[in-house]
Amino acid sequence: MPEPNPEDVLLLASDAARLVLASGAETYRAEETAQAFCSALGGVEAECYATPTGVLLSFFGPDGRSRSIVRRIKGRSMNLERIAGIHALTRDLYAGRAEFHQAAAGLDALERLSGYPAAVTLAGAAAAAGFFTLLYGGAWNDALVAAPVGALLSRLTRILSRHGISDFFTNITGGALAALACLAAGLAGWASGPDTAIIGSIMLLVPGVAITSAIRDTIAGDLVAGVARGADAFISAAGISIGAGAAFGLWRLAGLGAL
Amino acid sequence: MNPLELLWAALATAGFAVLFHLRPRDLPLAVVGASLGWWIFSAVRAAGDPAIGYFAAAAAIGFLSELGALVFKKPAFLYMVCSILPLVPGSGMYNTMLQSVRGDFPGSLAIGFSTLQAAGAIAAGLAVSSALARLVSLAAAARRRSVEPPPGPQIGPGSGRGFEDDSGGDARRSGWISAK
Repeated sequence: MPEPNPEDVLLLASDAARLVLASGAETYRAEETAQAFCSALGGVEAECYATPTGVLLSFFGPDGRSRSIVRRIKGRSMNLERIAGIHALTRDLYAGRAEFHQAAAGLDALERLSGYPAAVTLAGAAAAAGFFTLLYGGAWNDALVAAPVGALLSRLTRILSRHGISDFFTNITGGALAALACLAAGLAGWASGPDTAIIGSIMLLVPGVAITSAIRDTIAGDLVAGVARGADAFISAAGISIGAGAAFGLWRLAGLGAL
Repeated sequence: MNPLELLWAALATAGFAVLFHLRPRDLPLAVVGASLGWWIFSAVRAAGDPAIGYFAAAAAIGFLSELGALVFKKPAFLYMVCSILPLVPGSGMYNTMLQSVRGDFPGSLAIGFSTLQAAGAIAAGLAVSSALARLVSLAAAARRRSVEPPPGPQIGPGSGRGFEDDSGGDARRSGWISAK
């Protein structure tokens, strides 16, 4: 087996770390993935430093010279299939069951995963919003209002992020839309408690997992990554609340009822 | 607690798992973990302490996920991140910010601190279980090494400083692979 070119290894390992982080995994997982890729492919003393927005990686090649690279991470969204795929790839590479070319092809395939069809995703969003409304004490009719609002929210965020709108404005729009739709349903008499329906549908946007990951990263010793994730969580929550707050204000101004 | 809540927690988690791109074959364990976590949380909360409820539920979810990771050879993160969904303080984050947007700063602070308390308790519960799993897998790797010397990673010739100079590194790496 010919030794892979160190520059190619650097690119592959940093790509793996970037993909792990962009799929929403913990910071230490990205760092350990990059290090495992480098060591398995002939790199020595691999060091990786990852934050939610970028990866730095360096190692010494067989010739004793150091190589390093910086990768920037723009968008992040949870993709567990990708995380599991990269985990399997790392195991294969490390156990010697895969070589450089197989790993590169595998990573490429993981990057282009298609995921669930749009209809299934919509149904998932509707189910999540509806059942969270029930879990948080809503009535049946509230859940039936929250479900389509949830599906609409997941569609809207997907379209907006595809067009490069920043997460902050996506969250403002989402929060306003959810609040207005649930308030209108309450006015029409479809929902008995618009508040629970709003919370249920907004569960799709709120950074509950993000704030928990922030604290997990901090506990694991990735202090910079943890603080960055916490800031991300607070900014998303702020966006959603600004949107919802504006919707409540408009509702009051229009004289449709106090909240 | 209304027993139907366990069903709602499971179904809401299943819906969210689709958005997180969890493959269907991993879904059952994630959903069972979500119900188990919600059950423990509700029971402890009814006994009077939500923070301990978050911690205990997260620890139980963590153990179940690590067990699933061992059996299915996949990262525990997959199951863990889905199962904690009913517990994570998403609405707390929203309410914290909503109160401050409305100008109710004392209310915002109060909700904010209880949100951070919940997130911290969940993170601590998960940390306890993954630390334990790491210890167990390290011990198992050390035992394997003492029984029969494994071939060790075969990196081709010319890999310079190689792996010889960090003994213990190998156990750490195999621990890493099996711990997650």
